[in-house]
Amino acid sequence: MKNYLKLVNFEFNRVAKLFVVLLGITFVVQMLGVFFEAKKYLDMANQQIYEEMVPKAQFLQMYGQMSFMEVVRSAWFLAPIALCVAGVAFYIFLIWYRDWVGKNTFIYRLLMLPTTRLNIFYAKITTILVMTFGLVAFQIILLPIEKWIFNGMIPIEFRNDMGLIEVVTSMPELSLIIPNSLLQLVLYYGAGLLAVSILFTGILLERSFKWKGIFAGLLYGAIAVVVFISPLLLQDFVLDGFFYPIELFMIEIVMGLILLVASIWLSGFLLKKKITV
Amino acid sequence: MIEVKEIEKKYGRKKILKGVSFTANKGEITCLIGLNGVGKTTILNAIMALTPINKGQILIDGEPLKEKTFEKITFIPDAITMLPQMKIAEAMEFMKDFYTCWNQDRATELLGFFRLNKDDRISSLSKGNTAKVNLLLGLALDVDYVLMDEPFSGIDMFSREEIANVFTSHLIENRGVIITTHEIGDIEHLIDKVVLIDNGLVTKEFNAEEARENEGKSVIDVMREVYIG
Repeated sequence: MKNYLKLVNFEFNRVAKLFVVLLGITFVVQMLGVFFEAKKYLDMANQQIYEEMVPKAQFLQMYGQMSFMEVVRSAWFLAPIALCVAGVAFYIFLIWYRDWVGKNTFIYRLLMLPTTRLNIFYAKITTILVMTFGLVAFQIILLPIEKWIFNGMIPIEFRNDMGLIEVVTSMPELSLIIPNSLLQLVLYYGAGLLAVSILFTGILLERSFKWKGIFAGLLYGAIAVVVFISPLLLQDFVLDGFFYPIELFMIEIVMGLILLVASIWLSGFLLKKKITV
Repeated sequence: MIEVKEIEKKYGRKKILKGVSFTANKGEITCLIGLNGVGKTTILNAIMALTPINKGQILIDGEPLKEKTFEKITFIPDAITMLPQMKIAEAMEFMKDFYTCWNQDRATELLGFFRLNKDDRISSLSKGNTAKVNLLLGLALDVDYVLMDEPFSGIDMFSREEIANVFTSHLIENRGVIITTHEIGDIEHLIDKVVLIDNGLVTKEFNAEEARENEGKSVIDVMREVYIG
């Protein structure tokens, strides 16, 4: 356990720079987004009301009030989130391959540590999780600050006030990363964890068997997907809706857990018996 | 004792090791000699479970390698096993964190022995100094066995001398060492046992001292006999 925690700390320090850069980009771009989106509306209102002499009531009738939703729907807001998602997805691969490539072969050191080699797997997957939760937590902190700035810029009569929860729930992209309930959180992030563990197993298959390993990894991924969705397929095409939705849901959870355990077991086996430097 | 028993290793269809067997004792320096590509590095990797073998068995003090065996045996490959952005002091800290057998006094002594500056970044070091850091990180562990892969390759004459001096010092004493090298001249007088490997097999295993005393032959003489005929 102690070695696992030390490895997590070590792995996280290695990604800390990338993590801070992603946080910084998200902060700067989203703040600029709030400013420019609000300014765009204000400029238009000023031009219509003070230059074109359109009465305020008529302006509001023509253009409507501005809501924070418009900021959240803009590229200013969504692009940094997409960048963070891409960054984490990229790092899922880099976290393994960076130890093999180049003349500094750090994988030798990791594999020669006097601890179970599965700790390397656990530490790397934990780092991905910590990074993901860190980025999401930062977004959750940023949202009220952004709304506060937005409220400060747009006068109340021009503003359609929406609660942050309403904003998040009405945006599918956002409610995926910031789930509305604990159950959704467990489901979304559980599925994410499962996907990362399957990817890690695929990477370890490639590292163990090279070219053949790529096919084995793809095959393993395909089998995992088929196993995971097999209850849904059976329900629809064979059993003709035999299970209640809650039963099907429980079966899917069990399937997910089986696949997670299988991925960890296979990764442990590869790291112990098949991996090659 | 490290026992390598009938190990076989294939890369694709090519068989690199075809049943290699030898032993390496504690307190002795065993040198694996062979031309490029005969599988010397593969043997060291296999002993450390860094590459799987297709057949055979490797025992360390009578047991197969387990996670705790890494407190008893260490491997110094020909490339450094630490991150380039680390300072030497950080690399030492990493080792101290993970290995209970890390000997800080010896690490400090080696730092002085090799005249290294602990605040230097690994990426900024010359090839010779990088090799010395690699040796430091391995030799500062209180382990019974040390495996070294080509510790002299591509290193200047003075660094080679310094590294060779390690073998005559107390830093190596009482440990079992397996070393692969091309630069046999640097350590010929220090080797206890020689294992000649060719075509995936051990072609000759002999005691260097006995060959010198009984047959009047140096290691290079025996190599010439075996490889050239």
